[in-house]
Formats: sequence, structure tokens, C-alpha cells
Amino acid sequence: MSTANSAADERGPAVAFPSLEWFRRLADLMNRNRALHEHLGYIDCVAGFTITDGGAGGRPFSVQVTFEEFEAVNVREARPEDASRADFTLEAAMSTWREMIENIARGGGRPDLTHTLNYLSHMGEPIAVRSDDTMRRDMYFRYNQSLQEFVNASAQIATAFREN
Amino acid sequence: MAQATDPGKVLDRPNGNGGEENGLARYEISFGQADTRWAEMLARNAERLLKGSYSFHWLKTDPPNFGRRAKPSSRGLTYTDINNVRPYGEVPEHVDWKSFAPRGALRDPYRAEMPIIEDYTVLDSCEVWADNVITLYEEAKARQWNATRDIPWEELKPLPDDLEKATCQLCTFLTEVEFVAGDFPAKWMYRIPQDFLEVKSFLSTQIMDEARHQEVFRKRAIAGGGLMHSAPGFEWALKAILDAPTHTMGTFLLNLLGEGLVLSIFRSGEMIAKTHVDKEIFRRCMQDEARHVSYGVMQFKYYLDNNHDREGALEQLHRFADIGERVILTAFTEPALVEPVAILLGGGLDKIDNGMEGMAHLWRMFIDEYLQRCARAGFERRERCKLPLDFPWRQG
Ligand SMILES: [Fe+2]
Ligand SMILES: [Fe+2]
Repeated sequence: MSTANSAADERGPAVAFPSLEWFRRLADLMNRNRALHEHLGYIDCVAGFTITDGGAGGRPFSVQVTFEEFEAVNVREARPEDASRADFTLEAAMSTWREMIENIARGGGRPDLTHTLNYLSHMGEPIAVRSDDTMRRDMYFRYNQSLQEFVNASAQIATAFREN
Repeated sequence: MAQATDPGKVLDRPNGNGGEENGLARYEISFGQADTRWAEMLARNAERLLKGSYSFHWLKTDPPNFGRRAKPSSRGLTYTDINNVRPYGEVPEHVDWKSFAPRGALRDPYRAEMPIIEDYTVLDSCEVWADNVITLYEEAKARQWNATRDIPWEELKPLPDDLEKATCQLCTFLTEVEFVAGDFPAKWMYRIPQDFLEVKSFLSTQIMDEARHQEVFRKRAIAGGGLMHSAPGFEWALKAILDAPTHTMGTFLLNLLGEGLVLSIFRSGEMIAKTHVDKEIFRRCMQDEARHVSYGVMQFKYYLDNNHDREGALEQLHRFADIGERVILTAFTEPALVEPVAILLGGGLDKIDNGMEGMAHLWRMFIDEYLQRCARAGFERRERCKLPLDFPWRQG
């Protein structure tokens, strides 16, 4: 396991990525930063995050985050058969997630021009946006700024990346 | 179900030469001579006041709608919360109240004395309603932003000449198109009667959103160098939207197709942005635009699902789309749009060919998304679509 910066730093002990705990930390950060999210407005959706080679033995690892009003109210691990519970799922390889998270950390909570969620997903790769319904997929665009701020908060977590 | 008439044909436009005088003369005749029922009411009211007597008729609550209190939900008091109180949430399929009298108020006893607002022509809910309209209205209010202070303007730095000009041209295009997306709902909003108050409320947020989009792109262009070229091809596409014969047809062309493509441009704009300022602008606009698309899809679906002659309506809409798609394509093939986007995609004027290859890839995605949205609304357009599935670049 290696970390974006150091294993434990002023941000606290390192949290493994991907893990349920890592996404729960992001949710906590969002909920503690309510003023920012109130300013951005309601976010009501279930967003999936899949690391295609982030699970045991290089298998996919998926988390679903339920957003309501201004908060992330639920974070849970998702199995393949749970996919349709998410309005949309952002799916990418570990290397893409890692590059994005490290880039956000280097920018002090803001990615550079080529590491925003939309930049990475717009062409369909390296992040693919999966959804079984066009209306539910469009929520990714309706709440894009809130979702960007959600992942930007990862700069406040010392992240230890799992090596497969 | 009857379709609403084009408000432009009903609207009495002042003609400039003597228009004010003629208009005033008509107004004087209308309220001073032709229909003076208001004067009888004024006399009645004055007489009562002079006598020092009270009416208190307004204290009677029969039928008893009064006293059923709406309760706020976790977010405050929403339209959904008050619509849960009967009969306030009963949205009629067909409106026969062409006045300002609020839905759910005691209005029947006064019907005979009420003026009729002939401007209200959109009387069938299927022409305007969408099952997500209240959600979108609440979301729109909560997600407003301010183009003056929510964009980090102080970070804007000059770009190399080719990229700056391409950015300014793209912003000029967007400035040109944004107001039609406000003018179209504005044109119809005062044709929609009060009983569809939730729709009118949502449309007012779209008008505000579009004012802000026009504002932010105008500011970006002028802060970066200046406004560049307008284009006749844009204008014809916009005219085709504004002149749509019914609200639903125009909503299809504006919200579902036009704004669907503009949403794609905003997503592309965020991706190809060369500054954080531009990233922020496009992300913010993207969110608003996705709401407008969402209303368009669900309004279109509601129209088809609630039309008493679905097959006839589908055929009319296909005929409308046969024209509308081709006119909209005029804007999206204009060099004043295609070339700056290709330069930004490629990363410079010398890489415009690479940018055009990227455009071709994006075009296939855009058209597929459009066809998916049509299908979601129940409008299977794939076989009849007049938009090319592949971007018409170097195929000749
Ligand atoms: Fe807009
Ligand atoms: Fe719009």
C-alpha cells in the first residue's frame, strides 16, 4: 500500500482507497461542510463509484452514496446486482481514480484542468458514466458541481492506495 | 385534446407608427365604454364604504377548504406539501378558469362577474405539465448562482491568441442562443392560466437561468477580449424554436433537442476549458441546462401519455421534428461554432484537424443521447431522425 503523500500526516492516519471507510470519510467531510453545499443547492441522487480493479484479486469494488438535500446520508458497498439502485455509476480503473485523487490533493482540494470529473468522463473514458436510464444519468450533470466538491474534499484525507 | 394556438398570432403587436395612440384609444374604448362592469363594482363598493357598513362575505368558508393546514416537510413548505391538502393539489386536465383567481380559492360564486383573460390559450394540462415539474422548481430555486460573484473572475488570465479567440467566439455563440431559451418560455408563460401555477413557477426559473447564462458568457467574452461573430445559421435555428406552433412542440425543440445539444456543448466546454474560470462557468451552466432538458423530456412524455389521440399526435410531432431537426442542424454546422470548438478540443489552431476528429466522436454521443431522450418520452425517432448519426466531416 502506498499513500498520496505520507501514510499518516497532519490530516490524520491514512485511509485505504478504495474502501467503504474512505467514502464514509468523504461523506463526513461533506456533511461537516454544510455551508458550501447549501450554497450549491439540493443534491438528490444515488451516485455509484466503481473501481474496476479495486477489489480483492483485482475484481471490481463499488460503493453507492445516497445524497439527500445537502448531505450524503448513506454510503454502502454495492454488489453487481445492486447497480440499478444507483442513478448513475462512475466507473474507472484504479490508476484513473488514483491519478485524480492525487491531483486533487496536489491542488489543495481543486483538480487541475485535466482532472475534473467531467473532463475524465466526457469522452466515455477513462471514467465511464453508467446508467440504465437517460433521465437518471442526466442527474450526473444536474448535480455536477456538488459531486465535484464531494470528491475535492478528498484532499483532506491521507489516502493509502491499495496495490493489487 | 385541443392544441393551444400560437400566441404570436393572437398577440396584438404595437406597430410603432401611431401604435401608442391606437393602443390607448382601444384601451379607452375597452374599459371606458365597451365593458364597464368594473364601474358597477366600484359604485357598489363606494356606496358600502360611504354607508359605513361591512360585507364580511369573505368570512364564509363554504365549501370548507379553509382550516386544513399544510404542514412543512424536512425541507420547509414545498408545493408538494401544500398540494397534499385537498383540494389545492387538484390540477385540472382542462382549465375553464381564464382569470387570475387562484386554484383552490372560492371563485365559483363570482364567475359571472369576472373578466375573461383571452390571452390564456394553453388550457390542457398535457401541453405544459410534467411529473417532475415541482421537484425541478424546488431544485432550481435551491441551485441558483450568481454570475457576478460565484465565478473566480480574478483568476482569468489571457490565453494564447488562437485559444482566446476560440473561447470568445464560443461565448459569443452561447450569448446569442441563451436568450431564446428565456424568450420561448416567456412567450408562452402568459398564455398559461393560473391553474398551472407550478409550471409557470418552473418556467420563471428557466427564464432566470437563461438570463444568467447570457450574462456569464457575455461577461466571459468581454473580459477575455471581446464578443466576436454572430451567425445567420444560429438565428434560423432560434427562430424555428420561437415560432413553434404549440408549447409542446417548442418544448421538444428547445428543451429536449436544442438544450440537450447545448448541455453537450457545456460538458464539452468544461472539458476543453483552458482556465479554471471557464471550467466553473461551464459546470454551473451544465447543471441548469440539465434541469431544462429534464423538464423537456418529461413534458413531452406527459403530452404523449395523456393525449387522447396518441397516434395522431405522434405523427404531427414527427412532421414537426422533420423540419425542426434540420433547422437546428444549421446552427450546429456553422463554422462560427464548429471551428472554435475544434480548436479548443485540439488544443490550438494548428491542431484543428485533431479537434475535428474529437468532434466526430462527440457528435455520435450527442445524437445517441438525443435519441435516447426521445425514446424515454415515448417518441421513437431513430428511424426518422434527420440529424446525421455521424458528423458530416470529410465524408464527401
Ligand atoms: Fe441556457
Ligand atoms: Fe436552458
